[in-house]
Amino acid sequence: MNPLRRFFRTPEAVAGAIILAALCAMALAAPLFFPGDPQAIAGPALLPPFQDWSLPLGTDRLGRDVLAELFHGARTSLAVGLAAAATALAVGAIVGTVAGFAGGGVDEVLMRITDAFQTVPSFLLALAFVSVVGPSLGVVVAAIALGAWTGPARVARAEVLSIRERDFVAGARVIGMHPLEIAFREVLPNALPPVLALSSVIVAAAILTEAALSFLGLGDPNRVTWGGMIAEGRAVLRTAPFLSIIPGVALVLTVLGVYLAGEGVVETTAVRRSLS
Amino acid sequence: MSDVTISRRTVLAGSASLLASTALPTIGLAQTPRKGGRLVVAADSEPRNLNSAIVASNGVFFISSKIVETLAEASFDGKDGLEPRLATGWEGAADGLSVTFKLREGVKWHDGKPFTSDDVAFSALQIWKPLQNLGRTVFKDLETVDTPDELTAVFKFAKPTPFQLIRNALPALSSVVPKHIYETGKIEENPANNAPVGTGPFKFAEHKPGEYYRLEKNADYWGKDQPYLDEIIYQVLPDRTSAASALEAEEIQLAAFSAVPLADLDRISKVPGLKVITKGYEGLTYQLVVEINHRRKELADLKVRQAIAHAIDKDFVVKTVFLGYAATATGPVPKNDPQFYTADVPTYAFDVAKANALLDEAGYSKGDDGKRFSLKLLPAPYFNETKQFGDYLRQALAAIGIDAQLVNNDSAAHIKAVYTDHAFDLAVGPPVFRGDPAISTTILVQSGIPDGVPFSNQGGYKNDELDALIAKASETLDTAARTELYKEFQKKVAADLPLINVAEWSFISVIRDTVGNVANNPRWAVSNWADTWLEG
Repeated sequence: MNPLRRFFRTPEAVAGAIILAALCAMALAAPLFFPGDPQAIAGPALLPPFQDWSLPLGTDRLGRDVLAELFHGARTSLAVGLAAAATALAVGAIVGTVAGFAGGGVDEVLMRITDAFQTVPSFLLALAFVSVVGPSLGVVVAAIALGAWTGPARVARAEVLSIRERDFVAGARVIGMHPLEIAFREVLPNALPPVLALSSVIVAAAILTEAALSFLGLGDPNRVTWGGMIAEGRAVLRTAPFLSIIPGVALVLTVLGVYLAGEGVVETTAVRRSLS
Repeated sequence: MSDVTISRRTVLAGSASLLASTALPTIGLAQTPRKGGRLVVAADSEPRNLNSAIVASNGVFFISSKIVETLAEASFDGKDGLEPRLATGWEGAADGLSVTFKLREGVKWHDGKPFTSDDVAFSALQIWKPLQNLGRTVFKDLETVDTPDELTAVFKFAKPTPFQLIRNALPALSSVVPKHIYETGKIEENPANNAPVGTGPFKFAEHKPGEYYRLEKNADYWGKDQPYLDEIIYQVLPDRTSAASALEAEEIQLAAFSAVPLADLDRISKVPGLKVITKGYEGLTYQLVVEINHRRKELADLKVRQAIAHAIDKDFVVKTVFLGYAATATGPVPKNDPQFYTADVPTYAFDVAKANALLDEAGYSKGDDGKRFSLKLLPAPYFNETKQFGDYLRQALAAIGIDAQLVNNDSAAHIKAVYTDHAFDLAVGPPVFRGDPAISTTILVQSGIPDGVPFSNQGGYKNDELDALIAKASETLDTAARTELYKEFQKKVAADLPLINVAEWSFISVIRDTVGNVANNPRWAVSNWADTWLEG
């Protein structure tokens, strides 16, 4: 059966895909619907939602349009989530492949480094990194990736360990391919699927970590982020709870969407593998 | 400490009394003070050093002012705005070279030793002048302190020092600590810095880090029948949102220093049994200031500074950032100061068109992207309001084509970036006006201050005329002439804009209506609370 059709047969996956699609549309459409600076002051401060249809979700403590901030915040959240996950997967896959393929001392050293990173809670690692280097978008991505690459590295290594014993690898050796070429052109592509299956979890965690960093005031202050919006709203939680609830719900939906879609992908590939 | 933790029973008892108090009409609030009771107060920080003779700051005073007393306290109706504490009288010589203090009789330190003029001499010469953050400037010319008898201390100055300045400095700068405890060893490392010994109405009892400070009644206090309270507990509640709920749950009775967020005040003022009080902070005015790094060539241009001043809508800031709990500023002296303030200064009305015109005139025309130039903006992290004003300022500058990039730092990093490394173009700072421009205000614009002095001119601003004026005022003895010079100072600062004063604000207390004698002096939250009492 067509994997795409199989994917869309599971209702969770469909729900996840719809949420993700909506989110991507939001992020892409942000500059169209809300051109200019989303942090510009657009109306009276602390306007509740659904009062004024030019500001449907109301305004925050300075009178900034919450809907515009929400749209532009989706860009930051998705960008950081995807970039951090891509970085983590790339670093993890490379480290895991090298460790698994080289074996011996190299494997020992790389895996102990991986262990060391795994023993430190990834959020603390990100927190420390951002506080030292200073908050900006690139630093936040690096900080999140710093705590997230160990999972992919271990999975990749395990996979490589089994693949490197296969006949086609031995064949590649016999025809005189350079070990690095074998590792990255023959072994890594075959080891990737289970590593990629981790991506949904990593993206979801990265979005949450970014929000938590922004909440603690360690996000990029010149960009709208959902975590930053929640932190802003916290001071007026009792009088204007919508300021925290709206970005909070957006965050929950996003993480849920990423997770459900990821589960769908995993199930689809798992079924296909067992069939083959 | 089992008697401090809040048990379910005390909470139940508390809610029962709340029910009772709402059921019965409250009769006669101004009764005679009752003795006894424990006042529980929210504390949002735990100062590492509680020695207010070294660290004269509100965070320290909030706790230590109940333990360690000053020579005089600020007062609404006392002569020169002062009320006697450890000193009962003070007199300045006509030549400005000496000030004589008569000290209170029969005062004992918490360890039983008598308080004498030696303690005052020691505190002034060994601590206020060399070590104290504010005393270093005010007492810089203090040479000796003579002690002709146990109850007289004569301050001798090397250069004429205005008596008005010394008077104005007394409430914040004159904490007296015991000589017999501090004379051995290094003063900065004395254990009494963390467990202060003083003459005040309350004794330091204990500090549980992260939980509370406990002060207990000083039975030997010099004030007749005072203090009324048995105990003061400072419950550490670092999270601002928790102070409001703790008040409502009757876990605490007082949240001072705006521990309850401004946005919550409207709601909480309607809670029965709670009062929102803006009085009692008149002597602690904070100023919202845009600090400018004059090393940037754009900002060295007066037209650019004027444009920035015109771009800021001060009324919007007061209304939106401070929710009305502030006043717009005209210059470096706040409007509520009774001695020095003058409204006769150049002002900058909110006018975006004029600001744009000024920038065009200065030669910084808009690029294709609508931007003239970029600036680094560092809002001080100490207050919600300074951070929020940073967000506002970024937008206000965007409206006149200046692209401000916000840089957020924690307190330590902010102080280093602005006052040591000068790694800023604009910064938002909250300096404090302490009753006299010479204490902590002229330092904000004066040149020649070494790098690293926090809350001083670190923007590289130098104006010989202004420096001369400040120098002249610091040695002018005649009160009227001195006041006149500081009015001139305000005009010059407002005209040349070494920094931009945006607003002035103070704090708000939220308090249970069972607490008596609240906000009865201009520095109430940091005064000694000897007369504060609790209804039974």
